[in-house]
Amino acid sequence: MKQLGRSLMLVVATTAVARAQPQPDVPTLPPDPGGAPAAPGTDPTADPQPGDPPTVQADPPVAPPEAPYDPYPAPSASVPDEPPRPPINMPEVLTTPTGFLLPAAVFYTKFGLDTGGGATFDSRIGLGDVAEFGVATTDAIRQRQDDSDEDSDRIQPYFTASFRLGVGEDRLFKHQPAVALGFRKSFETKSEGYESRIAELTLVASKHFGDKFAMHVGGAFWDASLAGQLDSGDDVEDRSITFHDVATPKDQFRPFGGIQARPLPRSLILIDLGWAPEFCYQCATDARKIRLRPVLSWGVRYEVASWMRIESGVRVPDIGDANLLNAQIFGQVSFTSWGLRRAIDRAKQ
Amino acid sequence: MTDGRFPRTAALVLLASTGLAHAEEPAAVPPEAATDAPTVRRRTSTLAEIYRGPFRSSRLFAMPTADVVGAYVMTVSGEGSLLQQPGALTSAGVLAIGFGDIAQLEYRHTSAISVEGVTAPVPAVGVQLAIPLPRRPGIPAFGVAFRLGVPRDEQIDAFELEEKVTDLYLVARWRGGAAGWLTLHGGTRVSSASLTVTDAMGLAIGTVEKRLVLPTGGLELQMNDEAKLVAEAGLAPRFMWMPGADPAIGYGLLARLGLRWSVLPSVIFDGSIGYQQEVGTVEPPAGRGGIVQWDIRLGAEVFVPWGALACRATGAFCD
Repeated sequence: MKQLGRSLMLVVATTAVARAQPQPDVPTLPPDPGGAPAAPGTDPTADPQPGDPPTVQADPPVAPPEAPYDPYPAPSASVPDEPPRPPINMPEVLTTPTGFLLPAAVFYTKFGLDTGGGATFDSRIGLGDVAEFGVATTDAIRQRQDDSDEDSDRIQPYFTASFRLGVGEDRLFKHQPAVALGFRKSFETKSEGYESRIAELTLVASKHFGDKFAMHVGGAFWDASLAGQLDSGDDVEDRSITFHDVATPKDQFRPFGGIQARPLPRSLILIDLGWAPEFCYQCATDARKIRLRPVLSWGVRYEVASWMRIESGVRVPDIGDANLLNAQIFGQVSFTSWGLRRAIDRAKQ
Repeated sequence: MTDGRFPRTAALVLLASTGLAHAEEPAAVPPEAATDAPTVRRRTSTLAEIYRGPFRSSRLFAMPTADVVGAYVMTVSGEGSLLQQPGALTSAGVLAIGFGDIAQLEYRHTSAISVEGVTAPVPAVGVQLAIPLPRRPGIPAFGVAFRLGVPRDEQIDAFELEEKVTDLYLVARWRGGAAGWLTLHGGTRVSSASLTVTDAMGLAIGTVEKRLVLPTGGLELQMNDEAKLVAEAGLAPRFMWMPGADPAIGYGLLARLGLRWSVLPSVIFDGSIGYQQEVGTVEPPAGRGGIVQWDIRLGAEVFVPWGALACRATGAFCD
């Protein structure tokens, strides 16, 4: 898995580097076959014979300066006009949600790998410019056996579905931040004989400050359930607990946020702080069986094209313990597509 | 709600969405007269003209509104949730066909909470009427919907449970006069619910019938030309039984917050977050923090202008 991850990151990085290079020099035009007339009585295609006078190679015709040869021609004007598509603000910083929603009928897909063997997938679609639905797998949910277990393992794949709705930036009034209310919930996942689920209700605001800086601030209300043999000893029965039963609403709430800066036209620096549940199956008290752990991430995003972005950075799964040994380097590639939107626009005409 | 108060979380969500949309600049909402205009049925109409509408939905998510789909129009709706019960797809559907301009006949799943605690669709056949009062801006419209329950079977161990709900809805709709982006819906659902439990031998263990008066309401916020934010909340019958106990019928709160997006004039996409809380049951309530029981539901409503299609194909039903 690590080899596959390294290979994918290498391919992605190579693509980015190649895409970032300047365009090649403009090549010269090939000789115009009809531009230099042959001498009368001679076959221009015949090989030169001994005794023939030396021929002077005519200079190749030079293209008029106002019409240089373009190896990457622009689309023909005959293509039907399409309304200009605005740039898409990403629905996530690195691991935490933003207040930005995908435009209507725009697809977003992201794949990620990290050096800890984690693999993630996230696919979303914008709904009516006011909502967004997505399914994903996350590797952020972690598990431990008991209090003496110092290293937590990730549970993966952990499938989730999400639904977010909100309003875009400057939509209601000038300088109004984008606001999104989101709900994410997992399918029931079984790991090491225990069944668990998580749910997260978020409210987040995002605001651009100029062209080069944006800030995201929000709060998350977490819940989770855990079922299985939660007590040690013989003749213990399976039982289930929920986070809202063993914690107070204050314990369920966590603030999160992130910042993004654009030092170069296509490159962004991203930092975010989020939270993820951790299950401890045999911890002594129920309150310790489900806990929230802070996750700090930082990295860069490079916009390879309007439809493709690559991200790389560092994620510390439990920054609360300042344990950098568990830090992971990750690589992510995301794609966006207006294809469905174009099809819908055509169908409406 | 168990302590007599509306759940604070649900109230905050509704208030927040209301506040957000209140400041929204008015979207280009077609006037009521335009949305009521039926599709013209002409032999020369193209398919694009036929499917351009306008079409009118007769429901929010689960609640009927004071509208009907209209004459010569049929709608097919479906929705589902993968998250409410692990591993099980709960779904609901509606097939409605316009009967004149003020009525529609329908086969649908009406909302109730099953013994297993999920929002279980209970089948029903019904008729929905838009009361033909003069429609003027700012004047509410009224509607009546009757849904005759069809028995739904549920199996728990060796026991067979038969659930049935018959509903009478009285609903009103008020569309803001100048502020055309806001539409309010309110009404009352009178439900006659019955639950019969039989054992493996077919012997009846217990039967209970109960009549419930259940308030329901909702609002629509027109966010742009194609999308509406929709909030809906109402009480629904809840069936309760466990082996060794008598069957009982209580009620629970079902609330939804989401959007209805007209992807095309004839196709509406539904997406929502669902909230469910038991009221007056033997089970402990999940409490305000129990969002792990919430679900995400997706659905769609497709309009079929069968009259206009038949007119185009055969010349029948033309204007």
